[in-house]
Amino acid sequence: MQQYLPSDYLPIIVQLVLALGFVATTMLATNYIIPKIFRNRVHGKVKDDTWECGIEPQGDARTPISIKYFLTAILFVLFDVEIIFLYPWAVNFRSLGWLGFAEMIVFMTLLMAGFFYVIRKGVLNWD
Amino acid sequence: MEEIPGVIRTIPLNYYIFLSTALFVIGIVGVMVRRNALIIFMSIELMLNAVNLLLTAFSSYRSDPAGQVFVFFIMAVAAAEVTVGLAIIVMIYRNTRSVDVGILNRLKW
Amino acid sequence: MFYSVVLLSIFGILNLFLGFLKSRAWLLPVTLLFLATALVVTLTDWNKSLFFWNYMMSTDNVSVAFATIIIVSAMLILPLSRFYFPNAAAPVPEYYAILLFSVVGAILMVTYENIIMLFLGLETLSIAMYILAGSDKRNPRSHEAALKYFLMGAFATGILLFGVAMLYGATGTFNLSGLAQYVRTTLVNGASPMLYLGLTLVLIGILFKLSVAPFHFWTPDVYDGTPTLFTAFMATVVKTAGFAALYKILSVSFTGIYSVWWITLAATSVLTLLIGNITAVYQQSFKRMLAYSSISHAGYLLIAVTAMGQTSQSSILFYSLAYTLATITSFAVLILVNENRAGESFSAFNGLARHNPFLAFALTVAMCSLAGIPLTGGFFGKFYIFINALEKGLLFLLVVAVLMSAVGIYYYFRVVIAMYMRGSDDNAVADRIIVPKSYAAVLAITTFLTILLGVAPDLLVRYF
Repeated sequence: MQQYLPSDYLPIIVQLVLALGFVATTMLATNYIIPKIFRNRVHGKVKDDTWECGIEPQGDARTPISIKYFLTAILFVLFDVEIIFLYPWAVNFRSLGWLGFAEMIVFMTLLMAGFFYVIRKGVLNWD
Repeated sequence: MEEIPGVIRTIPLNYYIFLSTALFVIGIVGVMVRRNALIIFMSIELMLNAVNLLLTAFSSYRSDPAGQVFVFFIMAVAAAEVTVGLAIIVMIYRNTRSVDVGILNRLKW
Repeated sequence: MFYSVVLLSIFGILNLFLGFLKSRAWLLPVTLLFLATALVVTLTDWNKSLFFWNYMMSTDNVSVAFATIIIVSAMLILPLSRFYFPNAAAPVPEYYAILLFSVVGAILMVTYENIIMLFLGLETLSIAMYILAGSDKRNPRSHEAALKYFLMGAFATGILLFGVAMLYGATGTFNLSGLAQYVRTTLVNGASPMLYLGLTLVLIGILFKLSVAPFHFWTPDVYDGTPTLFTAFMATVVKTAGFAALYKILSVSFTGIYSVWWITLAATSVLTLLIGNITAVYQQSFKRMLAYSSISHAGYLLIAVTAMGQTSQSSILFYSLAYTLATITSFAVLILVNENRAGESFSAFNGLARHNPFLAFALTVAMCSLAGIPLTGGFFGKFYIFINALEKGLLFLLVVAVLMSAVGIYYYFRVVIAMYMRGSDDNAVADRIIVPKSYAAVLAITTFLTILLGVAPDLLVRYF
């Protein structure tokens, strides 16, 4: 294993200083230096608004959305994560053989039973 | 490409322990000090993921798959927990328009 | 046990689909039949010592007995749901399915041989309970209970898992016997500090779920806010399974370092007894009193775990059974009183004995059993636990426990006094409560068994 010396981290420090320096310089320049030179205002209704092209923004982005989306999203989380049990099986597909296949069929049957229940409950009806 | 356990082992085990302990403690502090139910919940997830990281590191250091199997189960169970937890939080939000745990004071001894 | 777990899981799914049928009349009998089938299948494992799923699960007589207690208490609680949901739209099939799944979780917790199984069982049980705690969707108290239970439970899970990860780091195995082997060898070689840290965190995680002081603060709120039917389930099944799991992990894996953890458990046990009993005295609501009473009973059970003697396991078993029966009786009577007299406070019980002598008698027997009065199961439960403590020489624990039992008599008898001595003051209260047949049957069974255990404890004890 390769050993690292503290001096090997010097490029990272240089990078950090440059990054911070850039941020500080631009903020200083746009807020204090440029307005002094060109005599234009820093704050104002138009200046402080979110930069948008096209139509003007309306309202708040954080409005409540329909509960239907919530149910779908929740079901997605649930069924999506169950997929992780397929990965180990898929990687060892050959060595697990028919027994592994049968076990996966059982697993998928149980999963599909849940899915069928969700459909029968009408959760996925979209209107 | 090198074997992934080998790559994990290029970093000393103690670093993994320190990192995941730090994540775990951040999670605990988050649960204790935050007032927003969703953020408390995120902190709990952070705790679980710290555990996952630790288990994976131990597992590859010992060349023992049991730890990673446990990680799978933790992820699946955490997903089930997320489902129930978010449903509870949404149920409360619909009734009170807030997810601040400070409003939960109807039950007091 | 393997088959009962598989069967109950399938029955749970079947129950979900039964909900699509038009008629709901068959739902309760069918669910009871499912549980009875699982009970019979469980009992066929009696006197067999088996391992399942590559040493993930094991059965012996004690785990069969614990599983029996769990299934029987589920069977006793289910009939109480008969008239519990007045709302026709209540998703009753889903509640039954969740109850069946939680019984699966509880069985995994009493039969695990590997920490993965303990975790799965604990989470199956807990997640089911989070849902049931919030099942009263119109009631803000139920919401609050669900959120508190969920946040606290998930937090405890996180702590438990970090402990498990530490144990794994120290020992390299999740197997209970593997852990035991490591603990035996470390006594010679010196153990990794991760082992002790891991054990402490695992204990904190489990004690959190068992509502042992100082991790009890969520319990009264959650028990109070949860619909009473499900509180009964929480107070009995979760406690029984949790203590079986706690005893199993400590007795199988960590007897080698008994000197390390016994003092912690003894301290928490004293704290639990003090907080549970003394706070219960100040309660005005019967339901909250029962919540604190369940905390205090966790304290008594913890004494048996701390003692860790030859007979500890059987005394935990006996105590859990006696506590379960008495608790189911109290919650059943509470449901009836609350629905007919609209109140959960002690005063709602005023004059119950004159109008409903049977209810009053059943509740009196239950209270005597919880308080540990002779001729009831609770007396022998406490008796065996005190003997365990005495054999181990834990005298200070014994003194605290006896003192606190005396305190217990005070608050348990408040409701008895209300029923027999106080007259009902207003007319609405004076009405006679009509006891449905299902409630009468459950109350008769629990009361009979409580007295039977109190008169002839040998019937159970001689098997262990």
